[in-house]
Amino acid sequence: MPDDASRTLKETLWDPVAGFGVTFRTMFRKTVTEQYPYEKLPTAPRFHGRHQLNRWPDGLEKCVGCELCAWACPADAIYVEGAANTADERFSPGERYGRVYQINYLRCILCGLCIEACPTRALTMTNEYELADDDRGALIYTKSDLLAPLLPGMTEPPHDMLLSDDHHDYYTGAVTTPAEDA
Amino acid sequence: MTLTPERSSTGAEPVELVTLTIDDVEVSVPKGTLVIRAAELVGIEIPRFCDHPLLEPVGACRQCLVEVPDAGNGRGLPKPQASCTIEVAPGMVVRTQLTSAVADKAQRGTMELLLVNHPLDCPVCDKGGECPLQNQAMSHGQGETRFTETKRTYPKPLPVSAQVLLDRERCVLCARCTRFSEEIAGDPFIALVERGAWQQVGTAPDVPFHSYFSGNTIQICPVGALTSADYRFRARPFDLVSTPTVSEHDACGAAVRVDHRRGTVMRRLAGDDPEVNEEWISDKDRFAFRWSQQADRLRTPLVRDESGELVPMSWPGALAVAARGLAAARDAAGVGVLPGGRLTAEDAYAYAKLARTALGAHDVDFRTRAALAGGEEEQFLASRVAATGPSVTYASLERARTVVLAGLEPEDEAATLFLRLRKASRRGLRVVAVASHTTRGLAKLGAELVRTRPGDEAAALAALELGPDDVLLVGERLADAPGALAAAAALIAGSGARLAWVPRRAGDRGAVEAGCLPGLLPGARPVSDPAARADLAAAWGVPSLPTAPGRDTAAMLAAAADGSLAGLLVGGVDLDDLPDPAVARAALERAFVVSLEVRSSAVTELADVVLPVAPPVEKSGTFVTWEGRLRPFPRVLDVAGSLPDVRVLAGIAEELGTPLGFRTPEGAMAEMTELGPWDGERAAPPTVGTSRASDAPLVLDTWRQLIDSGRLQDGAETYRATARPPAVRASLATLAAAGLTAGAPATVVTAAGERVTYPAEAADLPDGVVWVPATADVHLHAVRGEAVELVRGEVAR
Amino acid sequence: MTDVLTPVLTAGWGDDRAWTLEAYERRGGYQALRAGLAMSPADLTALVKDAGLRGRGGAGFPTGMKWSFIPQDNPKPKYLVVNADESEPGTCKDIPLMMASPHTLVEGVVLAAHAIRAERAFIYVRGEVLHVVRRLRAAVREAYEAGYLGTDVLGTGVNVDLVVHAGAGAYICGEETALLDSLEGRRGQPRLRPPFPAVEGLYASPTVINNVESIASVPAIVRGGVEWFGSMGTEKSKGFTLYSLSGHVRRPGQYEAPLGVTLRQLLELGGGMREGAELKFWTPGGSSTPLLTAEHLDVPLDYEGVSAVGSMLGTKALQVFDQTTSVVRCVLRWTEFYKHESCGKCTPCREGTWWLVQALQRLDAGQGRPGDVELLLDLCDNILGRSFCALGDGATSPITSAIKHFRDEFDAGMHTPSRELFPPERSTAWARPLEGSPA
Repeated sequence: MPDDASRTLKETLWDPVAGFGVTFRTMFRKTVTEQYPYEKLPTAPRFHGRHQLNRWPDGLEKCVGCELCAWACPADAIYVEGAANTADERFSPGERYGRVYQINYLRCILCGLCIEACPTRALTMTNEYELADDDRGALIYTKSDLLAPLLPGMTEPPHDMLLSDDHHDYYTGAVTTPAEDA
Repeated sequence: MTLTPERSSTGAEPVELVTLTIDDVEVSVPKGTLVIRAAELVGIEIPRFCDHPLLEPVGACRQCLVEVPDAGNGRGLPKPQASCTIEVAPGMVVRTQLTSAVADKAQRGTMELLLVNHPLDCPVCDKGGECPLQNQAMSHGQGETRFTETKRTYPKPLPVSAQVLLDRERCVLCARCTRFSEEIAGDPFIALVERGAWQQVGTAPDVPFHSYFSGNTIQICPVGALTSADYRFRARPFDLVSTPTVSEHDACGAAVRVDHRRGTVMRRLAGDDPEVNEEWISDKDRFAFRWSQQADRLRTPLVRDESGELVPMSWPGALAVAARGLAAARDAAGVGVLPGGRLTAEDAYAYAKLARTALGAHDVDFRTRAALAGGEEEQFLASRVAATGPSVTYASLERARTVVLAGLEPEDEAATLFLRLRKASRRGLRVVAVASHTTRGLAKLGAELVRTRPGDEAAALAALELGPDDVLLVGERLADAPGALAAAAALIAGSGARLAWVPRRAGDRGAVEAGCLPGLLPGARPVSDPAARADLAAAWGVPSLPTAPGRDTAAMLAAAADGSLAGLLVGGVDLDDLPDPAVARAALERAFVVSLEVRSSAVTELADVVLPVAPPVEKSGTFVTWEGRLRPFPRVLDVAGSLPDVRVLAGIAEELGTPLGFRTPEGAMAEMTELGPWDGERAAPPTVGTSRASDAPLVLDTWRQLIDSGRLQDGAETYRATARPPAVRASLATLAAAGLTAGAPATVVTAAGERVTYPAEAADLPDGVVWVPATADVHLHAVRGEAVELVRGEVAR
Repeated sequence: MTDVLTPVLTAGWGDDRAWTLEAYERRGGYQALRAGLAMSPADLTALVKDAGLRGRGGAGFPTGMKWSFIPQDNPKPKYLVVNADESEPGTCKDIPLMMASPHTLVEGVVLAAHAIRAERAFIYVRGEVLHVVRRLRAAVREAYEAGYLGTDVLGTGVNVDLVVHAGAGAYICGEETALLDSLEGRRGQPRLRPPFPAVEGLYASPTVINNVESIASVPAIVRGGVEWFGSMGTEKSKGFTLYSLSGHVRRPGQYEAPLGVTLRQLLELGGGMREGAELKFWTPGGSSTPLLTAEHLDVPLDYEGVSAVGSMLGTKALQVFDQTTSVVRCVLRWTEFYKHESCGKCTPCREGTWWLVQALQRLDAGQGRPGDVELLLDLCDNILGRSFCALGDGATSPITSAIKHFRDEFDAGMHTPSRELFPPERSTAWARPLEGSPA
């Protein structure tokens, strides 16, 4: 440390105050601190949050249980088991549906590769980011946690295909699809 | 282990080689090789769908087109050629997609055309991820389709049988399935019908695809057109862990691949073993694997408490109780050992050693069959089967001139062997069957029938003559006919012909080798030979082996029932398989019984100590095929607390104070290998006695069909639905004598009073013989050749 | 001009009840049989070989040479099969022949069977032509009764049994190996070759398969001799043959003329194009042969002449179309035929025809897309020479040749439907004024 005598006037008087200039200027800027959890702000629209399993406008599930999401997952966080729709119990158009669907949020890195892999756009991501818990088991989300809520006009499966008798129509856009999920 | 190495095949014909050039690489291959295989040899993969190395070439899919600038005569072929149908020629020049723009365009064009009518089902298709069409479309196709028009559609899926589902939209019409069914299995129940793009695989009306080998079509389908109802949507190839293993269902040792997901077996596929099953397995080997996943699976040791209830107990506790009880029984009157015929060779060896060391007697017999023809069968096994290395093999059957089948229905009792016999018979092998009638299987082999009344096999065999290139295959059922095994041994003696014994269960041959017979020690050492006993005692490190002769299964059960045996150590034995279930039941009730079982059974219900053991999928071991070939297999599932019989028996032995000297299958196998076969004098073959030709007006013939209600087929319901419907078969005259016509309900009544009713079916049996299938839920408790009655049935089952 | 015609096979067609044995014998029928049976099989084969008779079914393979391929040391029975499954669009020669003079064929069969030492012969007739099947069967019955068929034919010791077998109406069964499968009771699908039918044909025995007209020409050769036969036709395509003229001509029908005659000559015989019509395009040998245009009027219609202009003589089915015809529509109809008749065995033909029809339908409806013509050509390239048998090749011929000659019409399919450019009613036989708007 140089002694006081060697200090210039600027160093003695101005520099100590100058530092507060930043503070002072910032006092007039917009606040960036978020008051989470007292105040929840919206995320960026394409934020990678919790997954959602979407439905067709008649409430049937879009997931066909193909496991491509599980295959794409770099963290091995997804577990799927398929099963066959029957005449009595139909959950999705076509032959196959996802009987078991689990995402382990202790492993999930929310990278979105599963979304890219999904051939039916059954799996998308919401902006929901509150994925914490004190129970490891509760962080394995099952199908009931992930399925999109029923919108008006939707009926809880199992039920028949209500939009068309031909399952191809669901995939070729031949059935009218209202505004899709988030 | 105790086997001699296979005789090297003598007189291998010199192979004429042809040299050609494929993609500028020169290769020499045997004359007659197809270009597509020659290309494989130089590492060039030509895409293909209809081509299969074990099926006749057809040239239908046109995917394997190559350019042939020189056909070997200096001239090129003007059009691209299907490499799966043209044979190599000297000097031929072939250009594949790697070096020829023409071939590449032809292949890409064909691939595009194949996809024209193929649905975009890959995400929901069971074949997705292991699909030749998917893979080859990626490697030899183009990413974008130019076809935007209407695809052909069908309702899907269409069941061609309860276990095989057909999706006609996905089919590329390669005809592999129909060719397999016709050429290999001989069951042309599926065929291509209609024409053009509407060509499709079809069945005749009301005739489903009920072939014993139908599952193979699912496996060779190059797309997802044929799928398994059992495996439908259950998993994806990338979920599965695959382990090569060996089928536990018969003595054929078919290679299978077990695919499991998170500790549960999802499916089984045929393994590729050219020496044994080539690439085919029976539906039993493929679909019957859920028996060890059933709810009645035993998981913990059980011990009977004071109130007579079986209660769970720890392993050390249960082993101690078992050992105490067995020691007491041994000291009181002795302990009989019934290991059953489903064990690995290692497990059987542990039983054989435990019986003779810790339990101190030769009372051990693996046979659990209705009929036990005294000492004849044991003599036969000791002299002609035990430690006779593979002299008859699958491959050698193809080189044989004549194969004689006696007491063996290969399609039902040894399906893999049947397929090899059929392959050989299509190439000129003569098959002669000493049997009561021409079954479907024998008809498919083009077999000449030596029509024989059950019980008269000895005389029928004595009337045959065999030459040096001939083979006699003897089924275990031949033991039902007194004198027949002796006649079989006499038939081959001096003829130069070879003989093989084809048992029904996977562990039978291994049990013979391991010495699970009262008169036979491991490695074909006769109990009656003091030198053999001394040799084994030295190897085992015991002062001596018991000298008193052992008892066979029937004798042991009778002794236990009357108290002259105080304990029984029982492996996988089904009471209803035994000669007299009533005696067996009495024996189990009276004696101290230790049962080693996978699932609860009639034996465990009566046992004093139940020790759960691992099914084959949860342990390693070795099955010995009917050829005498060792088929080691690894543990597929690692399940805590699931112990092989070897480990459990070692525990009992240690509690008894006489350790076995090994605790693992590997240890047992090492000891058996070190022990080796007996090099001293072998047991003498049985001599021809008098055969018992029953003079009853009507006698019984019976065996178990491949698909039935057996416990090892539990849990495979779609598979069971393809079983052949049981029937009562007799000649028209025999049926008429009982006032029956074909199709009418017919009841067979046995001497034991058992009744079984099935629809009557006319067949070419001798008059006075009636055939019914033996099944696990309907028990005749009668022996082949025994007198029965045939009456009109009241109600068809 | 009528001296162009050489009526040999057709000579007696106009006779009263020409199809009867009596009428046939009256005009010298079965004379050749006696002469032919007196010859040794080898001599008879040599005679047909020397005459230069070539297969009339399309490929033009020398008939005598085909007979000589039959391995006579093979212990299996030999078979003669006559391919009477005439189904090629436009082809109409065998059916009239069998209708008008079935005994010509029967006589030829006995001679050919003798030449290859076959004791059993089959005529595989297209199933739809029931009247022909009946007439053939009647003729065979007559021939048996007269001793021309059966054991010890005419006391010469030759045995020939003849079976008339009706197919079930599949074009593919005109392909010789598919025909054999069908005859054996299987689905008609072509077989893998080798083995060729001459070695392993019907019931895996040596088999000769010949077209009706080829076999029917044999008696005339035996009767007239090599010189006479060679006096007709050209150097490499000898003899007379049946041309079936159809379409927009005044007098369509069968014209028997020496090989090498031109369409111009035949059109003159047929009374020329219909009123006010001018030739737009024509097929030399049915729809499977690349089509030709007016500039090919003077092409000699023999095997070599037609090949030289990039087509094939085929079955000599001359379908003539005038300027009212839409090439696109015509080609679409043919392609629909091939799609319907594809047996389904091989991928290029099965899937290719499925696709071609849909692409052509678009162009026909005026809804074509840019690149469709190139797509058609590329598809044809992926089918031609890639399919299992010639059916797939044949399916591409009309498309590629039509695009070659009339590309502008295909281009027009991008915006205008063919029915606007070429109203279909104007092509009909009853359309009156060819010019101007329809009445």
